[in-house]
Amino acid sequence: MIVAGRSGGEGVRLVLETEEAMLLSELADQVDSVLLLGEADDPALGRLLPNAYPDDATSSREFSRYTRDSLVDGKRQAAQRVRDATAVDDGDDGVVQIELDQSEAWGWLTFLTDLRLILAERVGIVEEGDDAASETRDDYLRAAYEWAGFVQGSMLEVLDPTDS
Amino acid sequence: MTSTLEQLDTDTTTRVASEEPWRTIVWDDPVNLMTYVSYVFRSYFGYPREEAERLMLKVHTEGRAVVATGNREAMERHVEAMHGYGLQATVSRGEP
Repeated sequence: MIVAGRSGGEGVRLVLETEEAMLLSELADQVDSVLLLGEADDPALGRLLPNAYPDDATSSREFSRYTRDSLVDGKRQAAQRVRDATAVDDGDDGVVQIELDQSEAWGWLTFLTDLRLILAERVGIVEEGDDAASETRDDYLRAAYEWAGFVQGSMLEVLDPTDS
Repeated sequence: MTSTLEQLDTDTTTRVASEEPWRTIVWDDPVNLMTYVSYVFRSYFGYPREEAERLMLKVHTEGRAVVATGNREAMERHVEAMHGYGLQATVSRGEP
């Protein structure tokens, strides 16, 4: 994975190995599914759509009623754009190159945030079990979590250099 | 001169009492990168880098920070935007 500035101006350029692109596409599809299913008892949804009024149930319901659909739409669109940008055809080999302008880059940043919020919740749940199978799954999710953080951090270094 | 000052005082008191300032609070979470939170504060609220970093560090060290105050509708718009960015944010009424 290479994260670099764009020669043409603002934004960011990503170069992904085919395996990385496939992984990201799969993860983006899973984020989209979590939002599509919107299962009330899925704790990850609580991370993606927090309670705006923890001490006021009526206001909380109202806020959710007015904001939930558009928040879910925005998050799903961001996930779908990442999924489509990283889709790899069977015959492809080599690398996947992606150019993002400032606004497209924001979509990726928010998607990576949502992905990490979901993975953090899933790892927390998996930690409760201690059989070998769940440990393997835990390792995979943790690795994906760390990797998504690395990608986001690298993008931020390009989009928002701190030494300027 | 004196009467002007009294007039100003009255105006200020009335405005503060009727405004009922609400707050947008962002809470610490173990997931979001500090650089991301700071970038969101600058990009969305338009805070200068120094102020955005101060608020981000306040969230990080104290567990929460008031990032905006104003009327309720505006605070709900801000909280919705923060949720869009994946930050944990709540609306609350300011202390009397």
